[in-house]
Amino acid sequence: MFAYIIRRIFATIPVMAVVALFVFSLLYIAPGDPAAVIAGDQATPADVERIRESLGLDRPYLVRFGEWVWNILNGDMGVSIFTNLPVTTMIKQRVEPTLSLMVLTLILAVSIAVPMGVTAAWKSGTPPDAAWGKRALMVLLAFPVGVAALVFGGLRFMDEVSVLPLIIWTLMWGATFVTCAWKAGPMFDKIIMGFGVLGFSIPVFVVGYLLAYVFALELDWLPVQGYTAFKEGFFPWLENLILPAIALGGVYIALIARITRATMLEVLQQDYVRTAKAKGVGQSSILFLHALKNAAVPIVTVIGIGMALLIGGAVVTESVFAIPGLGRLTVDAILRRDYPVIQGVVLLFSFIYVLVNLLIDVLYTLFDPRIRY
Amino acid sequence: MNGYAVAAPLPDVLPPIKPRRGFIGYLRRNPTIAVGGFLLLMMLSIAIFAGFLGTVDPTALAPARRTRPPSADYWFGSDMLGRDVYSRVLYGARVSMLVGFSVAILSSIIGLTIGLTSGFVRWADALVMRVMDGMMSIPPILLAIALMALTRGSVQNVIIAITIAEIPRVSRLVRGVVLSLREQPYVDAAVACGTRTPTIIWRHILPNTLAPITVQATYICASAMITEAILSFIGAGTPPIVPSWGNIMAEGRALWQVKPYIVFFPAVFLSVTVLAVNLLGDGLRDALDPRMAKRL
Repeated sequence: MFAYIIRRIFATIPVMAVVALFVFSLLYIAPGDPAAVIAGDQATPADVERIRESLGLDRPYLVRFGEWVWNILNGDMGVSIFTNLPVTTMIKQRVEPTLSLMVLTLILAVSIAVPMGVTAAWKSGTPPDAAWGKRALMVLLAFPVGVAALVFGGLRFMDEVSVLPLIIWTLMWGATFVTCAWKAGPMFDKIIMGFGVLGFSIPVFVVGYLLAYVFALELDWLPVQGYTAFKEGFFPWLENLILPAIALGGVYIALIARITRATMLEVLQQDYVRTAKAKGVGQSSILFLHALKNAAVPIVTVIGIGMALLIGGAVVTESVFAIPGLGRLTVDAILRRDYPVIQGVVLLFSFIYVLVNLLIDVLYTLFDPRIRY
Repeated sequence: MNGYAVAAPLPDVLPPIKPRRGFIGYLRRNPTIAVGGFLLLMMLSIAIFAGFLGTVDPTALAPARRTRPPSADYWFGSDMLGRDVYSRVLYGARVSMLVGFSVAILSSIIGLTIGLTSGFVRWADALVMRVMDGMMSIPPILLAIALMALTRGSVQNVIIAITIAEIPRVSRLVRGVVLSLREQPYVDAAVACGTRTPTIIWRHILPNTLAPITVQATYICASAMITEAILSFIGAGTPPIVPSWGNIMAEGRALWQVKPYIVFFPAVFLSVTVLAVNLLGDGLRDALDPRMAKRL
């Protein structure tokens, strides 16, 4: 097993080398003259020359690449063109908010998505109940009626549409609908999968704006934007991060719920599940103790692979909610065409991604004795 | 009785199953494709006929009439430069469609080529797949951002950047399919008959990769539309002069706390379009690739 772990760790070295080579080579692959693009439209030839020199574009490719890799190994990612600060310093100042956001999203997403996927898989195998199915359909049709009544009533009698009744209606409707669907059997599964498709389709900034509009602007329950450091207290920190985390978690929840359901469907057909049922083990311990444990490997793999979505989404979420993290740093760097900073952030995120997936691979061999390479 | 035995009429216990044939029957059996396809067709016709749907010039400025709420004149309101948001949103459909379809087609073709090559040319496989592993370790949005930071913003460059970010996924998929197909008896038989490799690829491998590639292409189309909107939204995508949904939202961002409708309308259009493409993808997956449908 140790041989495998060592081999796996060594196998990531070429991957990281390719990442570094690729991120570095972008300067050379990009069409046109990157120095001129970075300098902008109002630059004098001297400015372009200065940037060309600071990026090292005037020296041979391989020499420059060797230097660059050596510097990174020594913890030096170059100097920002715009602020003249070392990129590592700029990154260090911005790590905390991004890390907080990602960890909170991860916890939130996993704790919502896994039970969703498990129950969906279970419900898809239960016998359907036509009477409750019909009721669920009727409740489904009632939703737009209620919304229309509230909107038109609001416009007619108060000259404005207030959000609170809409939310209360949506919550009550949702609870009724889910209960009916739950009793109807396989329909519950279809609904969860429907939410999954929605989660994949609605971009993270759309969810972000919607949540901020409803819960921060209209209801004033949470702060609209900003970030409070963790050391200033847990609740202020959570208050600022909860909406971004929900917005960012949407796609991730959809992904994890989907894969959980798929693996659970397979596992639930195994003989040991039938045996457990025959022994009289309770439904929830069959699902969460017997089956989920055996379905864990693909789920954890997807949690690792989905980190790419999380990282990409964090960049956008941070600019929607004005969180001063690495994503904001990237966006600011793009607007100023500060390529060394972008290079540094992309490299850092990619390495984190590779390391997380390495960690997950190694953990399998520790937790799942069946896996032997 | 003239000597012929007549079969007794069967009781109507089992009414014959008559599956409806033709296009309508296909849609009835696959409602997801029908819904997704209908929504997508609607968006596509909006994109094509944007000029005839009561729109005005989406770039025409009218500073005196800026930030108007939705009304009979400005169906979706007007933005901070007095441009008609309705026209901008409708014309924005063109950019999204163009980017989505171009990226889907381009990355499928390039990914197919790379995947076939590395599936058949064994010495190239290790090298190509290491490169693809490396590219896949860079989160796609960040890769596109890094590429866009080095080029001038234009629709063409956005398409190239997103295509490069999506290629590794298609190549991996095609390579996997090719490797499993190579073990099939009919490929062995073709080799034993002395069929040349290009013919095997053309006749046996390629047709079998089409179904998974089509499904993957629809998902890529959806994610390309989202990526384009994200890039434009953070200012690294299409230039501000082009009315794309991401750009409209980026411009509405400064005002969203007081004038939320500027962000709201493009957001709804984007979500519906992506939803349509995703539904189409799910439907196609169930219809074309039953094995994969069971797994996911």
